[in-house]
Amino acid sequence: MMPRSFFTVLPLVFAAACGENGNHGDTPKDAPAPQIDAGAPDASCFTDPHTYNEIINACTTAVKVYKDSHPPLLNADGSLPPLP
Amino acid sequence: MRSLAFLIALAITFPHRAHAATCDTLPNPVYLQVGDTQLNLMKRLGRALRDNTPKPITLVFLTSGSCSNIAAIYTPVVIKAATSLQYVPSVAEDATWTPSSATLTCTLAGDVVPDIANSVLFNSACTSSPPPATVNLTQGPAQGYVMAVPTASSQTAITFEEAYFVFGFGAAGMIAPWIDEAQMYIRTITKGTLLAWAANITVPAAKWKGVMLDASQSVVTGVATGPTSAIGILGAEVYDANRATMKALAYRAKGQYFAYYPDSSSSSRDKKNIRDGHYTVWSPTIWMDSVDGTGAPVKPDARYVIDLIAGKTVTPPQNFGMIDIIAAVGLVPDCAMNVNRSFEGGPLSLYRPAESCTCKFESLVDTSSCATCTTSCTTGVCRNGFCEDH
Repeated sequence: MMPRSFFTVLPLVFAAACGENGNHGDTPKDAPAPQIDAGAPDASCFTDPHTYNEIINACTTAVKVYKDSHPPLLNADGSLPPLP
Repeated sequence: MRSLAFLIALAITFPHRAHAATCDTLPNPVYLQVGDTQLNLMKRLGRALRDNTPKPITLVFLTSGSCSNIAAIYTPVVIKAATSLQYVPSVAEDATWTPSSATLTCTLAGDVVPDIANSVLFNSACTSSPPPATVNLTQGPAQGYVMAVPTASSQTAITFEEAYFVFGFGAAGMIAPWIDEAQMYIRTITKGTLLAWAANITVPAAKWKGVMLDASQSVVTGVATGPTSAIGILGAEVYDANRATMKALAYRAKGQYFAYYPDSSSSSRDKKNIRDGHYTVWSPTIWMDSVDGTGAPVKPDARYVIDLIAGKTVTPPQNFGMIDIIAAVGLVPDCAMNVNRSFEGGPLSLYRPAESCTCKFESLVDTSSCATCTTSCTTGVCRNGFCEDH
């Protein structure tokens, strides 16, 4: 249940597990593509997952791939438009 | 290059016709109708069962879409006489045969209802009808699904939202580089691969954009020989058998912070992210056989095969390692799963199998840090040579 967060400087591919830097429970938003010398988005992970959201965002040693995605047709509030 | 790949695909896909015996002359035939993603399982298990001295069985099978397979045993729908079915030879028949070899064919002497039907996803994704009382359902290994692109593609991941626009809107979705609908290789609407992805990206099967193909191998050929704008959907075990010619995209589900591969990395084969819930696009395989009025299997040999696939203890015990076969074909035995779900694309929840085989599975696909054992363990339970935690 307890989220942990980490900060990383790797662009695109994050190969490390969650770190130990403080607690951040908020869901991170998409952000501009991380730069090699800039701080990446603060992404939380969960050490003791129970709910669906916690399970899919649990801390892991697996490779994590960050993708800065802004589909042009996405509604302003982030919702999906109906299919054609 | 494209024609060479096509010829190779043909050679792998189509069985040899040199052995055209009638199927009923094979030793203890069990007739199956399975998804084409299960071909590698049929080959390896078929070979092992031919030489399973305690109980030799011949798997005689054809591949078809999951929804068609469900209908075949629910309705039931016969496989017509004279249909050509596949099987694999015993060691005595062909000692040089390997799973990369083509299957052999036999001809059906008369109509048969399949003894076993297989769906590669929850049956409820195909039909809202409950199974008839004459059909027993058994949950088998989990199967992952991937979106694959050519090895030359610079793309490494796709998000839930992007996939929604790519396959729900096609070119109009404007998700570069996937804006050429002629290079989007999908499956027909009775196929589990399409239905599983459809549930996960919330694009109904009938609304998908792209080139609908009947066979997984056609998707492999399209992606492997396509331009960098190509993309296709495949069962993870089909992808695993074709990694040299394409690469899988990591997938970021709705509400997920990062995208993940089915495995812990793009090059591993451990299915770690399927097992722990970081990779969300997977389904249980469902294995169906007929039962009588008392619930007993109509064909005990069919139930023997299903119990093996499901990881149950069988009598007489088989003379081969079933987890080894499941792991080798890129599936995940239920006993190695730590999450489950109750309907296609539904939310994942934590899962604790009755008898874990995680240590054994990891020893086969990666490395296991578990203690080995012969009879007992200081902590945990000695099973399959490893100290499993329960």
